[in-house]
Amino acid sequence: MMSRLKAMFGALLLLIIIIQFIRPARNNSGQAPIADISKQFNVAVEVQRILKASCYDCHSNNTYYPWYTNIQPIGWLLANHIREGKAELNFNEFGNYSRRRQLSKLKAIGNSIRDGSMPLSSYTSVHADARLSKETKAIIIEWVTSVRDNLEKK
Amino acid sequence: GKNSDTVQKDPPLAGTEPKNAPNTNEVVASYLQLKNALANDNAKEAAIAGKAVSEAVQQMNNAALNADQRKLYDDVKEDMQEHGEHISTNEDKIAHQREHFDMLSAGMYDLVKAIGSEQTLYKDHCPMYNDGKGANWLSETKEIKNPYMGKKMRTCGSVKEEMK
Repeated sequence: MMSRLKAMFGALLLLIIIIQFIRPARNNSGQAPIADISKQFNVAVEVQRILKASCYDCHSNNTYYPWYTNIQPIGWLLANHIREGKAELNFNEFGNYSRRRQLSKLKAIGNSIRDGSMPLSSYTSVHADARLSKETKAIIIEWVTSVRDNLEKK
Repeated sequence: GKNSDTVQKDPPLAGTEPKNAPNTNEVVASYLQLKNALANDNAKEAAIAGKAVSEAVQQMNNAALNADQRKLYDDVKEDMQEHGEHISTNEDKIAHQREHFDMLSAGMYDLVKAIGSEQTLYKDHCPMYNDGKGANWLSETKEIKNPYMGKKMRTCGSVKEEMK
Protein backbone atom coordinates (compact mmCIF):
# COMPACT_ATOMS: atom_id res chain seq x y z
CA MET A 1 0.00 0.00 0.00
CA MET A 2 2.68 2.44 1.08
CA SER A 3 4.84 1.72 -1.94
CA ARG A 4 1.90 2.21 -4.29
CA LEU A 5 1.20 5.65 -2.81
CA LYS A 6 4.86 6.51 -3.14
CA ALA A 7 4.84 5.48 -6.77
CA MET A 8 1.78 7.63 -7.44
CA PHE A 9 3.32 10.70 -5.84
CA GLY A 10 6.49 10.04 -7.75
CA ALA A 11 4.59 9.92 -11.02
CA LEU A 12 2.69 13.10 -10.17
CA LEU A 13 5.89 14.91 -9.26
CA LEU A 14 7.49 13.77 -12.49
CA LEU A 15 4.47 15.00 -14.45
CA ILE A 16 4.64 18.41 -12.76
CA ILE A 17 8.31 18.64 -13.59
CA ILE A 18 7.79 17.59 -17.21
CA ILE A 19 5.04 20.12 -17.91
CA GLN A 20 7.34 22.92 -16.74
CA PHE A 21 9.26 22.43 -19.97
CA ILE A 22 6.18 22.93 -22.14
CA ARG A 23 6.06 26.68 -22.32
CA PRO A 24 3.54 28.62 -24.43
CA ALA A 25 4.90 31.29 -26.76
CA ARG A 26 5.02 34.74 -25.20
CA ASN A 27 2.65 37.47 -26.29
CA ASN A 28 5.30 40.11 -26.92
CA SER A 29 5.30 41.41 -30.48
CA GLY A 30 8.15 43.81 -29.77
CA GLN A 31 6.83 45.95 -32.60
CA ALA A 32 5.56 49.50 -32.41
CA PRO A 33 1.76 49.22 -32.42
CA ILE A 34 1.00 51.44 -35.42
CA ALA A 35 -2.72 50.68 -35.32
CA ASP A 36 -3.01 51.24 -31.56
CA ILE A 37 -6.16 52.97 -30.38
CA SER A 38 -4.08 55.94 -29.17
CA LYS A 39 -2.92 56.66 -32.74
CA GLN A 40 -6.46 57.27 -33.96
CA PHE A 41 -8.31 58.51 -30.90
CA ASN A 42 -7.62 60.87 -28.07
CA VAL A 43 -6.38 58.81 -25.12
CA ALA A 44 -5.44 60.92 -22.11
CA VAL A 45 -2.36 59.89 -20.10
CA GLU A 46 -4.47 58.74 -17.15
CA VAL A 47 -6.77 56.69 -19.42
CA GLN A 48 -3.74 55.13 -21.10
CA ARG A 49 -2.29 54.19 -17.71
CA ILE A 50 -5.53 52.49 -16.63
CA LEU A 51 -5.92 50.63 -19.94
CA LYS A 52 -2.32 49.38 -19.76
CA ALA A 53 -2.65 48.28 -16.13
CA SER A 54 -6.07 46.62 -16.38
CA CYS A 55 -6.70 45.64 -20.02
CA TYR A 56 -3.56 45.40 -22.15
CA ASP A 57 -2.26 42.14 -20.67
CA CYS A 58 -5.00 40.25 -22.53
CA HIS A 59 -6.16 42.83 -25.08
CA SER A 60 -2.93 43.84 -26.81
CA ASN A 61 0.10 42.27 -28.46
CA ASN A 62 2.26 42.89 -25.41
CA THR A 63 1.68 41.14 -22.10
CA TYR A 64 3.53 41.80 -18.86
CA TYR A 65 4.44 38.43 -17.32
CA PRO A 66 4.86 38.24 -13.52
CA TRP A 67 7.21 35.48 -12.24
CA TYR A 68 4.45 32.97 -11.41
CA THR A 69 3.30 32.87 -15.04
CA ASN A 70 6.44 30.79 -15.63
CA ILE A 71 4.85 27.99 -13.60
CA GLN A 72 2.73 25.55 -15.59
CA PRO A 73 -0.17 25.16 -15.93
CA ILE A 74 -0.64 28.84 -14.89
CA GLY A 75 1.21 29.94 -18.02
CA TRP A 76 -1.04 27.78 -20.20
CA LEU A 77 -4.21 29.20 -18.67
CA LEU A 78 -2.89 32.71 -19.18
CA ALA A 79 -1.98 31.99 -22.81
CA ASN A 80 -5.52 30.79 -23.40
CA HIS A 81 -7.02 33.92 -21.85
CA ILE A 82 -4.76 36.10 -23.97
CA ARG A 83 -5.69 34.27 -27.16
CA GLU A 84 -9.40 34.70 -26.48
CA GLY A 85 -9.00 38.25 -25.24
CA LYS A 86 -7.10 39.39 -28.32
CA ALA A 87 -9.63 37.81 -30.67
CA GLU A 88 -12.36 39.77 -28.90
CA LEU A 89 -10.61 43.10 -28.64
CA ASN A 90 -7.04 44.13 -29.42
CA PHE A 91 -6.18 47.73 -28.50
CA ASN A 92 -2.98 47.50 -30.54
CA GLU A 93 -5.03 46.74 -33.67
CA PHE A 94 -8.03 48.91 -32.97
CA GLY A 95 -7.17 51.21 -35.87
CA ASN A 96 -7.63 48.31 -38.30
CA TYR A 97 -11.23 47.68 -37.28
CA SER A 98 -14.10 48.95 -39.43
CA ARG A 99 -15.81 52.06 -38.06
CA ARG A 100 -18.87 50.02 -37.13
CA ARG A 101 -16.78 47.47 -35.26
CA GLN A 102 -14.98 50.27 -33.44
CA LEU A 103 -18.33 51.68 -32.33
CA SER A 104 -19.47 48.25 -31.14
CA LYS A 105 -16.22 47.61 -29.28
CA LEU A 106 -16.36 50.98 -27.53
CA LYS A 107 -19.90 50.31 -26.42
CA ALA A 108 -18.95 46.81 -25.24
CA ILE A 109 -15.99 48.20 -23.27
CA GLY A 110 -18.33 50.62 -21.47
CA ASN A 111 -20.89 47.90 -20.79
CA SER A 112 -18.38 45.38 -19.46
CA ILE A 113 -16.69 47.93 -17.18
CA ARG A 114 -20.07 49.12 -15.92
CA ASP A 115 -21.40 45.65 -15.14
CA GLY A 116 -18.04 44.52 -13.75
CA SER A 117 -17.60 41.56 -16.11
CA MET A 118 -14.22 43.04 -17.09
CA PRO A 119 -11.45 42.85 -16.03
CA LEU A 120 -12.05 39.16 -15.26
CA SER A 121 -12.20 38.43 -11.53
CA SER A 122 -9.83 35.49 -12.01
CA TYR A 123 -7.31 38.00 -13.33
CA THR A 124 -7.80 40.74 -10.73
CA SER A 125 -7.62 38.19 -7.90
CA VAL A 126 -3.91 37.78 -8.64
CA HIS A 127 -3.22 41.17 -10.33
CA ALA A 128 -4.13 43.61 -7.57
CA ASP A 129 -2.95 46.60 -9.59
CA ALA A 130 -5.39 45.73 -12.38
CA ARG A 131 -8.44 46.17 -10.16
CA LEU A 132 -10.62 49.14 -11.04
CA SER A 133 -11.89 51.50 -8.36
CA LYS A 134 -15.15 53.38 -8.61
CA GLU A 135 -13.15 56.41 -9.79
CA THR A 136 -11.08 54.62 -12.45
CA LYS A 137 -14.22 52.90 -13.72
CA ALA A 138 -15.87 56.30 -14.12
CA ILE A 139 -12.84 57.64 -16.01
CA ILE A 140 -12.94 54.76 -18.51
CA ILE A 141 -16.71 54.94 -18.98
CA GLU A 142 -16.55 58.70 -19.57
CA TRP A 143 -13.70 58.25 -22.02
CA VAL A 144 -15.39 55.53 -24.14
CA THR A 145 -18.58 57.56 -24.21
CA SER A 146 -16.83 60.65 -25.53
CA VAL A 147 -14.76 58.72 -28.10
CA ARG A 148 -17.91 56.99 -29.25
CA ASP A 149 -19.92 60.20 -29.53
CA ASN A 150 -17.15 61.80 -31.60
CA LEU A 151 -16.87 58.79 -33.88
CA GLU A 152 -20.63 58.67 -34.41
CA LYS A 153 -20.61 62.27 -35.65
CA LYS A 154 -18.02 61.43 -38.33
CA GLY B 1 -35.43 26.64 -56.99
CA LYS B 2 -36.86 23.60 -58.72
CA ASN B 3 -39.53 25.59 -60.52
CA SER B 4 -36.95 27.69 -62.30
CA ASP B 5 -37.35 25.67 -65.55
CA THR B 6 -40.93 26.78 -66.03
CA VAL B 7 -40.05 30.34 -65.08
CA GLN B 8 -37.21 30.53 -67.56
CA LYS B 9 -39.47 29.71 -70.52
CA ASP B 10 -40.98 33.14 -70.21
CA PRO B 11 -38.94 35.99 -71.70
CA PRO B 12 -37.09 37.75 -68.90
CA LEU B 13 -38.91 40.84 -67.76
CA ALA B 14 -37.13 44.14 -67.53
CA GLY B 15 -35.78 44.52 -64.01
CA THR B 16 -35.91 40.80 -63.31
CA GLU B 17 -33.28 39.92 -60.74
CA PRO B 18 -30.47 37.68 -61.93
CA LYS B 19 -30.27 34.23 -60.39
CA ASN B 20 -27.42 35.13 -58.05
CA ALA B 21 -29.06 38.35 -56.93
CA PRO B 22 -28.09 39.20 -53.37
CA ASN B 23 -30.88 38.45 -50.99
CA THR B 24 -31.27 38.93 -47.29
CA ASN B 25 -33.92 36.21 -46.79
CA GLU B 26 -31.84 33.97 -44.53
CA VAL B 27 -30.45 36.86 -42.52
CA VAL B 28 -33.91 38.38 -42.08
CA ALA B 29 -35.48 35.02 -41.13
CA SER B 30 -32.86 34.22 -38.48
CA TYR B 31 -32.90 37.79 -37.16
CA LEU B 32 -36.68 37.66 -36.72
CA GLN B 33 -36.36 34.32 -34.94
CA LEU B 34 -33.86 35.95 -32.58
CA LYS B 35 -36.06 39.01 -32.07
CA ASN B 36 -39.07 36.84 -31.19
CA ALA B 37 -37.03 34.68 -28.82
CA LEU B 38 -35.90 37.79 -26.93
CA ALA B 39 -39.44 39.18 -26.90
CA ASN B 40 -40.49 35.89 -25.24
CA ASP B 41 -37.59 36.09 -22.74
CA ASN B 42 -36.26 32.85 -24.20
CA ALA B 43 -32.48 33.12 -23.97
CA LYS B 44 -31.86 29.53 -25.07
CA GLU B 45 -33.74 29.99 -28.32
CA ALA B 46 -32.10 33.39 -28.77
CA ALA B 47 -28.72 31.68 -28.54
CA ILE B 48 -29.64 29.26 -31.33
CA ALA B 49 -30.99 32.07 -33.50
CA GLY B 50 -27.92 34.22 -32.79
CA LYS B 51 -25.72 31.53 -34.26
CA ALA B 52 -28.03 31.32 -37.28
CA VAL B 53 -27.76 35.09 -37.85
CA SER B 54 -24.00 34.89 -37.66
CA GLU B 55 -23.89 32.11 -40.25
CA ALA B 56 -26.48 33.70 -42.52
CA VAL B 57 -24.54 36.97 -42.67
CA GLN B 58 -21.37 35.10 -43.49
CA GLN B 59 -22.99 32.93 -46.16
CA MET B 60 -25.14 35.61 -47.75
CA ASN B 61 -24.84 35.56 -51.50
CA ASN B 62 -22.85 38.72 -52.08
CA ALA B 63 -21.42 38.18 -55.56
CA ALA B 64 -23.77 40.61 -57.26
CA LEU B 65 -23.63 43.54 -54.86
CA ASN B 66 -23.10 46.96 -56.38
CA ALA B 67 -20.33 49.21 -55.07
CA ASP B 68 -22.42 50.93 -52.40
CA GLN B 69 -23.95 47.67 -51.22
CA ARG B 70 -20.51 46.06 -51.11
CA LYS B 71 -19.15 48.85 -48.95
CA LEU B 72 -22.04 48.53 -46.53
CA TYR B 73 -21.84 44.73 -46.45
CA ASP B 74 -18.10 44.85 -45.72
CA ASP B 75 -18.75 47.33 -42.93
CA VAL B 76 -21.49 45.33 -41.20
CA LYS B 77 -20.46 41.73 -41.91
CA GLU B 78 -17.88 41.05 -39.24
CA ASP B 79 -19.67 43.23 -36.71
CA MET B 80 -22.98 41.41 -37.15
CA GLN B 81 -21.25 38.03 -37.05
CA GLU B 82 -19.63 38.92 -33.75
CA HIS B 83 -22.89 40.06 -32.21
CA GLY B 84 -24.56 36.84 -33.34
CA GLU B 85 -21.76 34.79 -31.80
CA HIS B 86 -21.93 36.66 -28.52
CA ILE B 87 -25.66 36.08 -28.37
CA SER B 88 -25.13 32.38 -29.04
CA THR B 89 -22.51 31.96 -26.29
CA ASN B 90 -24.49 33.79 -23.60
CA GLU B 91 -27.57 31.64 -23.29
CA ASP B 92 -27.62 32.23 -19.54
CA LYS B 93 -27.35 36.03 -19.78
CA ILE B 94 -30.32 37.51 -21.57
CA ALA B 95 -29.39 41.08 -20.59
CA HIS B 96 -26.06 40.62 -22.33
CA GLN B 97 -27.77 39.09 -25.36
CA ARG B 98 -29.99 42.17 -25.56
CA GLU B 99 -26.98 44.51 -25.49
CA HIS B 100 -25.63 42.76 -28.55
CA PHE B 101 -29.06 42.59 -30.15
CA ASP B 102 -29.21 46.40 -29.93
CA MET B 103 -25.96 46.74 -31.90
CA LEU B 104 -26.91 43.92 -34.25
CA SER B 105 -30.19 45.65 -35.05
CA ALA B 106 -28.37 48.80 -36.18
CA GLY B 107 -26.40 46.74 -38.70
CA MET B 108 -29.52 44.86 -39.70
CA TYR B 109 -31.36 48.08 -40.46
CA ASP B 110 -28.53 49.38 -42.65
CA LEU B 111 -28.23 46.04 -44.42
CA VAL B 112 -31.93 45.91 -45.27
CA LYS B 113 -31.87 49.58 -46.31
CA ALA B 114 -29.00 48.92 -48.72
CA ILE B 115 -29.89 45.49 -50.09
CA GLY B 116 -33.62 45.22 -49.39
CA SER B 117 -35.90 42.55 -48.02
CA GLU B 118 -38.56 40.45 -49.75
CA GLN B 119 -40.57 40.55 -46.57
CA THR B 120 -42.07 43.85 -45.41
CA LEU B 121 -40.36 44.93 -42.21
CA TYR B 122 -41.09 47.58 -39.62
CA LYS B 123 -38.49 49.59 -37.78
CA ASP B 124 -39.66 49.84 -34.20
CA HIS B 125 -38.37 52.02 -31.41
CA CYS B 126 -38.22 51.41 -27.68
CA PRO B 127 -37.64 54.69 -25.82
CA MET B 128 -36.81 53.10 -22.47
CA TYR B 129 -33.90 50.77 -23.22
CA ASN B 130 -30.31 51.96 -22.62
CA ASP B 131 -31.33 54.05 -19.60
CA GLY B 132 -33.72 56.10 -21.65
CA LYS B 133 -31.41 56.55 -24.66
CA GLY B 134 -33.64 54.20 -26.62
CA ALA B 135 -33.03 51.37 -29.07
CA ASN B 136 -34.46 50.14 -32.37
CA TRP B 137 -35.33 46.76 -33.79
CA LEU B 138 -36.88 45.31 -36.93
CA SER B 139 -40.14 43.39 -36.89
CA GLU B 140 -42.32 41.52 -39.35
CA THR B 141 -45.52 42.70 -37.69
CA LYS B 142 -47.11 46.09 -37.05
CA GLU B 143 -48.00 44.89 -33.61
CA ILE B 144 -45.28 45.74 -31.07
CA LYS B 145 -43.48 42.86 -29.36
CA ASN B 146 -40.60 44.44 -27.52
CA PRO B 147 -37.41 42.28 -27.58
CA TYR B 148 -35.58 44.53 -25.10
CA MET B 149 -38.16 44.55 -22.33
CA GLY B 150 -39.64 41.12 -22.98
CA LYS B 151 -42.87 39.99 -21.44
CA LYS B 152 -42.89 42.53 -18.63
CA MET B 153 -43.39 45.43 -21.08
CA ARG B 154 -44.34 43.61 -24.22
CA THR B 155 -46.17 46.39 -26.05
CA CYS B 156 -43.84 49.25 -25.12
CA GLY B 157 -42.59 51.00 -28.24
CA SER B 158 -43.78 52.31 -31.59
CA VAL B 159 -43.42 51.76 -35.33
CA LYS B 160 -41.10 54.36 -36.86
CA GLU B 161 -40.82 53.19 -40.43
CA GLU B 162 -42.26 50.68 -42.84
CA MET B 163 -39.58 49.05 -44.97
CA LYS B 164 -40.62 47.40 -48.20
